[in-house]
Amino acid sequence: MGKKLLLEKAEVPGIKGYEVYRREGGYRSVEKALKMAEAEVVEEVKKSGLRGRGGAGFPTGLKWSFIAKPEGVPRHLVVNADESEPGTFKDRYLMEFIPHLLLEGMIVSSYALGSNDSYIYIRGEYDWIADILQEAIEEAKQNGWLGNNILGSNFSCNIYVHRGAGAYICGEETALIESLEGKRGNPRIKPPFPAVKGVWDRPTVVNNVETIAAVVPIINDGGEEYSKIGVGKSTGTKLISACGNINKPGVYEIDMTISVEEFIYSDEWCGGIANGKKLKACIPGGSSVPILPANLLLTTAKGEKRLMNYESLSDGGFATGSMMGSGGFIVLDEDQCVVKHTYTLARFYRHESCGQCSPCREGTGWMEKILLNIEKGRGKMSDIDLLWDIQRKIEGNTICPLGDAAAWPVAAAIRHFRDEFEWHVLNPEESQRRNYGLAGYAEPLAIATV
Amino acid sequence: MEEIKTIKVTIDNISIDVAPGTTILNAARLIGGEVAPPAMCYYSSLEGSGGKCRTCLVEVAAGSTADPRPMPKLVASCRTNVMDGMVVKNITSDRVLDARKGVVEFLLINHPLDCPICDQAGECDLQDLSYDHGTEGTRYAFARRTFVKEDIGPYIQLHMTRCILCYRCVYVANQLTNERMHGIVDRGDHAAISTYISRAIDNDFSGNMIDVCPVGALTDRTFRFKNRVWFTKPMDAHRDCENPECCGKVTLWLRGEEVFRVTTRNDQWGEVQRFDGKAGWICNTCRFDKKETKDWVIEGLTTISRHSVIGANKYKILEMPKETIANVMHGRDPRLIMDIHSVSGVNEPGMDLSDINRPATSTDFEQHPQPKN
Repeated sequence: MGKKLLLEKAEVPGIKGYEVYRREGGYRSVEKALKMAEAEVVEEVKKSGLRGRGGAGFPTGLKWSFIAKPEGVPRHLVVNADESEPGTFKDRYLMEFIPHLLLEGMIVSSYALGSNDSYIYIRGEYDWIADILQEAIEEAKQNGWLGNNILGSNFSCNIYVHRGAGAYICGEETALIESLEGKRGNPRIKPPFPAVKGVWDRPTVVNNVETIAAVVPIINDGGEEYSKIGVGKSTGTKLISACGNINKPGVYEIDMTISVEEFIYSDEWCGGIANGKKLKACIPGGSSVPILPANLLLTTAKGEKRLMNYESLSDGGFATGSMMGSGGFIVLDEDQCVVKHTYTLARFYRHESCGQCSPCREGTGWMEKILLNIEKGRGKMSDIDLLWDIQRKIEGNTICPLGDAAAWPVAAAIRHFRDEFEWHVLNPEESQRRNYGLAGYAEPLAIATV
Repeated sequence: MEEIKTIKVTIDNISIDVAPGTTILNAARLIGGEVAPPAMCYYSSLEGSGGKCRTCLVEVAAGSTADPRPMPKLVASCRTNVMDGMVVKNITSDRVLDARKGVVEFLLINHPLDCPICDQAGECDLQDLSYDHGTEGTRYAFARRTFVKEDIGPYIQLHMTRCILCYRCVYVANQLTNERMHGIVDRGDHAAISTYISRAIDNDFSGNMIDVCPVGALTDRTFRFKNRVWFTKPMDAHRDCENPECCGKVTLWLRGEEVFRVTTRNDQWGEVQRFDGKAGWICNTCRFDKKETKDWVIEGLTTISRHSVIGANKYKILEMPKETIANVMHGRDPRLIMDIHSVSGVNEPGMDLSDINRPATSTDFEQHPQPKN
C-alpha cells in the first residue's frame, strides 16, 4: 500500500466542510508557512522536487523562482482547473471531495509568490464544483484564512473562482490567461512567458490543481521528506485517473514506484482487465500522449519493467515510450479498435482547435476526415502515409501544444498499429462487422515474464 | 553623441547588423530577396500581428554568442527577436522548406481557389505564396469548407470562404477605428470573421481592412468585378484630406482616365508605406468618394516589381501592333470581334458569318437555321 498524501482523508465523512477538515489537521501548513519567509517556502518546494501535475512535468519550484518581481506590480497565482483532457478526472475528484485542500495549498502558494489576488479557472462543465469551491472559500473567509492580514500577518489574500465556457484550449496557460481577462481564449505567442507578462501583463504563475494541493504536505512534512517518496526525479505521489476496460476505474493516488503491470492487474488499483479479456493497448497519461501496445507498456524496449513515473513512462522516447502526462490512464482491451479510437481523438482535437494558427486549424480537420474514411471502410493505403505526413507537419509547428497533442495520438497509432490500419483498408466490409482484435504485440503476461 | 549599439545576426550565411529588438523577419527583410521569409499574417504597422500563419517559420541554428545552442523547434521569425550572434537558416534549411510546404498546403486545403473570379487575383499574397512554396495538385480529397458571402456595410464585402484567419483586419479595427464591430466567432476550422449579427461596419478607416487582407476575403464593393488589377495602371497621388488621421497619400488604380479604385501606398512587402514614421492609412472618403482624377494631385507612376503581373511592362513601353484589324479585314472595321468555336451547334449556323457586313446578332442565327445532317 503506497503512501497517500492528498487523498489520505478523502474518505472521512464531512471532509468537504470546514469543521471536519480543520479537525483533521487542515490549514496547518498555512500556520507554518506564514511564520516562514516567502523565499523559504519556495525553497521547500524546490527541495521537494515537485513536478507540475498538469501534463508537462516542469519542476514547480523552478517555475516559481522564474516569476518576475518588478516594483509596485501585483503578481498573481492562477490555478488551472480546466481539466478537459479526455481520460483525466483527478482534479475533479480532489476539488469535489476535499475542496479545502486546494484552498490551503493556494494560500501557501500565494504567500510564497506574493499574490494577493489568486484565481481558480475552472472549466464550465464543472459547474457544481465551482459552487463547492465558492462555498469553501466563504467558509475559509469566515474563519480568517482568507481576506486581509491572515492570522495577524501582513499577508492578505483573496481567491476568486472563474468559470470557463467549455473550451479545451483554455487549459493551455496563456489561453487560460486570455480567457480569464475576458477575451477569446487564444493562446498567446511566447515569449513573453506568463512569469513575466501574464494576467493583465502582470507576472503570473499558472499551476495545476494537484500541484497546488501537493504544496500542503510539502510544507507540513518538509520538502526533504516529500522528496524521499518516489524514485529519481519523480518525487511525491501522483493522482492517476484510471478508466477504460478495467475492473475498477477511479482515481488512485500512487507513489510512483509501482510498475504499470502492478497498477493494472493488482486488486488494490485497477483490478485487471474487465470481463477476463486481454490487454491490448493503453494511453498512460491522458488522450494526447502516445498510445502504447501492451508489450511496450509493461516492459521498456530495454526489457526493464516499466514503472508508473515520469522517467520510466517516457523511456525510449516516442519510438517505444510515451509520457506521464496528466495521469489519465486509458486502458483498451482486445476488443477495441485502434482506428476508431484514433478517429474519436482526432474528432476531439478538431473540435477543440482554436483556429488561430494554420497547421492545427486545417490539419486537425483533415486528419479527422481521413480517419473517418478509414474507419468506415472507405480508406486507401496511401491515406495512412498521408496521415503520417500531416501529423508530422503539424507537430512542433504550432503556437501552442494543442497541435502536438493532436499529432501524437495519430502518430503513435500508426507507429504501433499500422497493421490494423492496413487491415481496415484491405477489408472494408469485414472491418465494419468486427474489430481487429489482438495481434502479436499484445500478449502481456507472457512478455512480462521474459 | 552616444553610439547606437547594434547586434549581428547571420541569416542564410549572410550577416547583417541590426538594432536590438529587431525581429528575425525584419532583419531578413533588410537583407532582402529570397532570404526574407514569406509572411501572411504579420503586418509591421499593426501591433501584435503575426505568429499565426506559420509561413515565416525559420530554424535557429545558434541562439546567440552567449548561448549558442540551437532552438529545438522552428520559430516564427516575425515574433522572435534576434540576439547577438544568432545564426538563422531560412532557405538553406530543408526542415524549414518542408514545414513551409506543409503550411502552404494547410492554407490551401480549404481555400476555394476561385482566383479566376476573385478580385484579389494578381495581387494576392496566397497566390504568390503557393506559387513560390506550394506543390502542384492537392492531396485533399474532401469537400471544402464554405461560408455565405456577406456585405458588411456599403463598402466592404466579406467572402469568408477565402479567409485564412490572419487576424489583420481585427487588428486594423482595434488600432485604427474607435470601435471594433467584428471579430472571430467559433473556433477551429469553422472559425470565422464576423460581425456576429450582420451588422454594418461603418467607420472612417474601415476601408484599410481591405488593403491589409492578404487574400480576397475582404473586397472593395465599389471595385468588385469592375476590372482586373493587371489591366489597371497604378499612379501615386495625394490630396489634402480634411481628416487629420488620414495620410492623403494614395495609389490610384486607373484605366484610361477613369479611377477604378484608391488604395494605400504599399511597399515591396505589400504593407502600407510609412511617412514621417507614421503608417500611411487613408480614410474612407479618400478611398471610396474621390474617384475622379481631378480630386487628386498625380505624382507619377507607381513603381511595381517587374515580377508582378501588374507591372509586366505593359504601359511603360507600349508598342502598337503593326497588323491592325482593319488591315487584316481589308478595310472592314468590325465593332465586335468574336472568337467562334465549333464545339456547340449554335456556333455552326447555315450561313457564312463573313457575309454579314456587321457584327452578328442572335437574329441572324434564327433566319439561318442550323443545317440538318
